[in-house]
Amino acid sequence: MDEEKSKRFDPSRRQFLITIGSTVVALGVGYALGYLTKPAEIVTKTITETTPPPISELSPVAQRAVQGIRKLIDDGVIPRGTTLRILHVSGSKAQLDKAIELWKKYVPDVNIELVTQGTEPDVYTKAMNEAVTKTGAYDIVTVFSTWLGDMVESGLAKDITSYFNKYDPGYVGTCAPIEPLGSYTTLYKGSRYALTLDSDVFTLTYRKDLLNNQNYKDEFKSIYGYDLKVPDTWEEVIDVAEFFTEKNLQSPRGGKVWGAYFYAEPAFAAYITWTNIFLEAGGILFDLNTMDPKIDSPEGRYAFDTLLKLKPYMPPEAVSASWADLYDKFIHGESVLTAAWPSLTKMAISSPDSVVKNATGTALMPGVKIEINGTPTLIRASPNPVNWVGIVSNYSRYPEAAYLFLQFMTAPDIGLEVVLSGVILDLYRECWFTDPNYRAKSVEGYGEEFVNAYMDALKYSYPDFIIRGGPEYTSKLTTAVNAVLAGTMDPETALSNIASDWDSITKKYGVDAQLAAWRSIAQLFPDTIKTAWRAKGYMP
Amino acid sequence: MPEKPPKSIKILSSLPLNLLLNGILIIPFIIMIYLAFVKWSPLMGVEWWNAPFNGLVNFQRALSDTRFIEALGRTALFVAIAVPLEFFIGLALAYLLQKPFKGKKYLVSLLIYPLMLPPVVVATVFYLFFQPYGPVNNIFLQYIIGPSALNIYWFLDKTLAFVTIIVADVWQWTPFMFLILYSGLSAVPKRLVEAAEVLGANEWTVFWRIRLPLIKPLILIAVILRSLEAFKIFDYVYVMTGGGPGTTTESISLYIYRLAILYSDISYAAAVSLIVLVLIFIISRLATKYLLEKR
Repeated sequence: MDEEKSKRFDPSRRQFLITIGSTVVALGVGYALGYLTKPAEIVTKTITETTPPPISELSPVAQRAVQGIRKLIDDGVIPRGTTLRILHVSGSKAQLDKAIELWKKYVPDVNIELVTQGTEPDVYTKAMNEAVTKTGAYDIVTVFSTWLGDMVESGLAKDITSYFNKYDPGYVGTCAPIEPLGSYTTLYKGSRYALTLDSDVFTLTYRKDLLNNQNYKDEFKSIYGYDLKVPDTWEEVIDVAEFFTEKNLQSPRGGKVWGAYFYAEPAFAAYITWTNIFLEAGGILFDLNTMDPKIDSPEGRYAFDTLLKLKPYMPPEAVSASWADLYDKFIHGESVLTAAWPSLTKMAISSPDSVVKNATGTALMPGVKIEINGTPTLIRASPNPVNWVGIVSNYSRYPEAAYLFLQFMTAPDIGLEVVLSGVILDLYRECWFTDPNYRAKSVEGYGEEFVNAYMDALKYSYPDFIIRGGPEYTSKLTTAVNAVLAGTMDPETALSNIASDWDSITKKYGVDAQLAAWRSIAQLFPDTIKTAWRAKGYMP
Repeated sequence: MPEKPPKSIKILSSLPLNLLLNGILIIPFIIMIYLAFVKWSPLMGVEWWNAPFNGLVNFQRALSDTRFIEALGRTALFVAIAVPLEFFIGLALAYLLQKPFKGKKYLVSLLIYPLMLPPVVVATVFYLFFQPYGPVNNIFLQYIIGPSALNIYWFLDKTLAFVTIIVADVWQWTPFMFLILYSGLSAVPKRLVEAAEVLGANEWTVFWRIRLPLIKPLILIAVILRSLEAFKIFDYVYVMTGGGPGTTTESISLYIYRLAILYSDISYAAAVSLIVLVLIFIISRLATKYLLEKR
């Protein structure tokens, strides 16, 4: 009986395949018959033509962009219904969506499509692929200003000087992007290749509640002999960091409160802190006559000494975790002094998880006191690591239209709306800080104290490695800085290795070409740093 | 007896497949070899086919590149530790699960579950596990060594960071060994085992003298396949340690990725890849020749 039952339910392989095959065929035939006998759909389309709002309500910069694109359409240079494609990173999607929404109000005949990539390296890789394959798949690419040298030299970034002069994106006057940022993020070897979409200038962000606490102030003064305040120098940062670390305070979620947290992580950010101290100490990255790396120098050793002195007062994760850990620790009240992009302040004052909403202070980055002509002078500088800019692809079918979209989305009125609609693109035009109408909106998004400090920070900001091979130079530096702080390499070996690696990179791309790019970008460093270079004889 | 088809028919019928294979495999491989002997990066602004000939410079550079040599040695060390661990644990599990018991079916399914996960997911999970307040310190180690467990920073120490990568790899790939060895052990004829038992052999003797020799070809295939795969380790290192601290856990795949993608140093990356390919080819050829063919 059991045998019979098992036979009945134990089909042979042949039977099994026949059954499965028949089922698949039956489903296919059934679907095809259903599809063929389906009654035709009656589609009713209602086309509503909306009249675009008058452009007189736009800023002159945006007006010129809209007029320009309409003329291109009327002249038949670009057909109606053209689609422009933007390659960008996912973090900027909300802000680009806002720009597209506003664009469609005024220019409904030109569509914008986003090609979104998950992470920044994905954008770099796709851009480099496009530089090699030249498919014209993207009209605009949003890139880090650090990559600008690579984008230009690989042939992907189009020289937009002629469009810039023809349409005037508002880079002069009271509403221009704040200098030197406006120039160094968009110029390469003296020509215009990008429009800035962002500013990524670092500020010193601190726990106001702790620094203003009278008991701590008294105690600090009795130990260190001077007032507890927002530190002006890295030496003071070390004192404040030591003081609060040794207090062994606890955050609301139970973690230790560390005195400081500055980037030293391995993926890409460790170079930021080190370079900041190095430049403020008067160091110069490359010789302005020979392009020899000048990193293996007293300023280089000073930067490492400072970081190593700070290390005991920073959470161990500063050396191992990703860049976002700094954000997490600060908003949970687990670090007193820190430095990061403007989005840290945005997050600290608006995140529901933040325990420092009313305790977040913003100030200029600490500086280094050096002797200039016999006078001790405080040199301050603010890193501007990465910084998103928009480039027009050399292989775009409609480069002028692509440029006009960039001009539209970075115009004073549209640009501010774009910046305030998301996270990764931040304030960069002067009037957003000074003009009462714009400023009110900026304060709403960032807070009064931040807006005040940030404008100064922009003036002290210096360019990233905007030369060919920029990501490679910074990556080698980051790896070495991280290794020194992790204790796997000593500073002398690190400096010597970086110098040797940088020399190889320079030689790979040609000393003369690299030197020309470096000389051009060196002129765009803030005056504070150039003064120090002159005093040390690095710059004529 | 049917006539043999003419040779031209054979060639013509395989032509589409050959063209496809050549297109997707051989041509890019030839381009890679070409790139290894020229000096080219997309940043140079010249087309790759116009790149200047560079002779053996890229290969000479690799031989004096300590980061490359260290990454190669580290990857070999990783294979030498992780694969035997996976093999012994897999063998033990496969042996223990030979005997029938209630729920065995479910246990076997559960054991092969890690294989179904993408390595990047496993890496992310283990990255979180090994955080100072993660479950490894907070639950497991704290139970054994007390509160000081919370001060262990796995990713700050080069040895500990390396250990975490091995643990993640062993967790995910032991089931692969288990699966192959389990099917091998299950296929050992019962009559041989029973005969040995009748002759007085104990369990260890049966395992050592009968089961293991019979599955030796499977063991060799599993170890070779797994070693080749482990040599390409990328995901765990990229996600968990980023090759750090410094470059002390950087694997050869991560180093090549950085050369090609981050540094756009395409020619040098091609040369390094070629060296690695030749090394792997020689080792796998020797392994198959002496371990499989000479049996």
